[in-house]
Amino acid sequence: MRGRLTHETIHLLERFNKAAKRQVHSLQEFFVLGGKSIGFAFSRPFYGGDLVQQMEAIGVQSLSIVLLTGFFTGMVLALQASVQLKTFGATMLIGRFVSASMIRELGPLLAGLMVAGRVGSGIAAQLGSMRVTEQIDALNTLGTDPIRKLVTPRVLATLIMLPTLTVINDFAGILGGSVIAWAYVKIPVALYWRTVWEQIAAGGFIFRYIPNDFVHGLVKPFVFGGIIAVVACNFGLKTSGGTEGVGVATTRTVVTSSILILMTDYFITQLLLAFLGS
Amino acid sequence: MSDRPDDRSDERRSHEPAPAREGTGFPVRRGADRERVRAAIRTELEGDEEALSQAETREYHAGDPSHHRVIALQNVHLAFDEPILEDVSFAAVEGETIVVAGESGTGKSTILKLLLRLLVPDRGNVYIDDEEITQLNFPDALKVRQKMGMVFQGAALFDSMTVFENIAYPLREHTALTEAEIEERVHEKLSFVDLDPDRVIDQLPSELSGGMRKRVGIARGMANNPEIMLYDEPTSGLDPLTTATITHLIIKLQRELGVTSIVVSHDIRSAFKMASKIAVLANRKIAFFGSPEELSGSDDKYLRDFLGGY
Ligand SMILES: Nc1ncnc2c1ncn2[C@@H]1O[C@H](COP(=O)(O)OP(=O)(O)O)[C@@H](O)[C@H]1O
Ligand SMILES: [Mg+2]
Repeated sequence: MRGRLTHETIHLLERFNKAAKRQVHSLQEFFVLGGKSIGFAFSRPFYGGDLVQQMEAIGVQSLSIVLLTGFFTGMVLALQASVQLKTFGATMLIGRFVSASMIRELGPLLAGLMVAGRVGSGIAAQLGSMRVTEQIDALNTLGTDPIRKLVTPRVLATLIMLPTLTVINDFAGILGGSVIAWAYVKIPVALYWRTVWEQIAAGGFIFRYIPNDFVHGLVKPFVFGGIIAVVACNFGLKTSGGTEGVGVATTRTVVTSSILILMTDYFITQLLLAFLGS
Repeated sequence: MSDRPDDRSDERRSHEPAPAREGTGFPVRRGADRERVRAAIRTELEGDEEALSQAETREYHAGDPSHHRVIALQNVHLAFDEPILEDVSFAAVEGETIVVAGESGTGKSTILKLLLRLLVPDRGNVYIDDEEITQLNFPDALKVRQKMGMVFQGAALFDSMTVFENIAYPLREHTALTEAEIEERVHEKLSFVDLDPDRVIDQLPSELSGGMRKRVGIARGMANNPEIMLYDEPTSGLDPLTTATITHLIIKLQRELGVTSIVVSHDIRSAFKMASKIAVLANRKIAFFGSPEELSGSDDKYLRDFLGGY
């Protein structure tokens, strides 16, 4: 009996060990792919046309969902704030509440999650179907490095576009908040926007002119963008098992990148707070 | 790898075709039978000769030993989760067409990927133009690949590009041709594969029929005028008429341009039409390698079943 238990424990440990090794290995894969794709940005041939095309695709795909999610999030934030702040008689501070939540946290996070769902899944599905229809092999055969041709433009495009979309998301959110503040709480638009700026200023500045809020708000989407593109390209290129495999790659991309975004969000925040002081 | 299932390979060995007889290379049926089969093959080939009679045939020297080996696999071993290829060797001389036949899942496509160095064998050597390619780094491998044109099973056309852009792709990547020269080359290749350039050039792959996609795939494969052509099941999934057209195309490419070809196929009928040699892959090994005549003359049980009365 005891012998069997020990045996099973060992077996379990072995399996755990194997699973852990696999995790480390796949983490390593992400870094290798990310490193290669960035490295290719600095040498010839550079597929500039593909980069422009990807930036356009990501922008077009995501603009409306980012505008919508931002706007409604801002509205609901203002609504909640009006209830909470009323008890303190401080409803004129709604603008500060909305901008504090949007710029530092919700803007980057929502844009990141939305783009992971929309763009990440799209990239994984496209590269995955190129893999299973042998188009990736065809690229290789015709003398093109698929990482250079497919991954580099997608990573660069996402690195550029996600911060851009986040700014749009932030702005849509604050605008949505302003609509609610004006329509429900009767706060003058000018006052609302002044409190928004007061909040940004209260967060402090780095190099005298750059608000810390903006540093938080732009570093995050930049990192998230890298995560989304590299995860999507990695799962896409590794697709196996026909059309079914494409579905698996897509799902894994959205789940993995969403979890990684939520986790790194915490660590980036902590790092930036330590570094910037606020 | 220590966990390779060696115990299982014993059990499989019993299904393998009888080992080759020493001396003759392969078991060959003698006498009247053999003559009959040869005659049958001759008629098949002559049928093709007629169809190709208009084509200006260059001198072509299939199997001439005085020509160097353009392609060679030497004692290649490869395993994924389980062994796929064991001790696989064969070679193609300049101008030859070798058909690699075998049931699906036996590793035929894998052999083509080895030749393209999309895969590297666990053991053994792969030679292209007498150059060992398994040890090459990535940029050198890209160079070797430019000697080869590959036609993928599903054509593998880039579905975001038009037919024109697909065929122009290898030219844009590797040549300094001007736009006008590229256009001329694309037209030339499309005409070679019997497609009307003006009709298909702006179409997307999704708008083409299966047979047309295959032909565009061939046009793209030969765009760079490669000395070697590789085809992965070029006729599978096509109707008999299109199958005949594609088979003729492959023969035409070999005769007119003298390219060395490896054709993966389980279509025995077209294999006999175009092959100078046939390699049959079974149970991870080359079960037969020789001329079509030798194959049809073989009295090995597995090979006879495989030929299905052919
Ligand atoms: N990249 C790969 N990883 C794991 N197994 C593979 C891979 N490619 C092919 N295989 C396996 O190798 C075997 C041979 O595949 P393939 O060469 O495509 O066969 P064929 O072309 O003769 O039908 C199959 O069992 C297939 O599942
Ligand atoms: Mg195959």
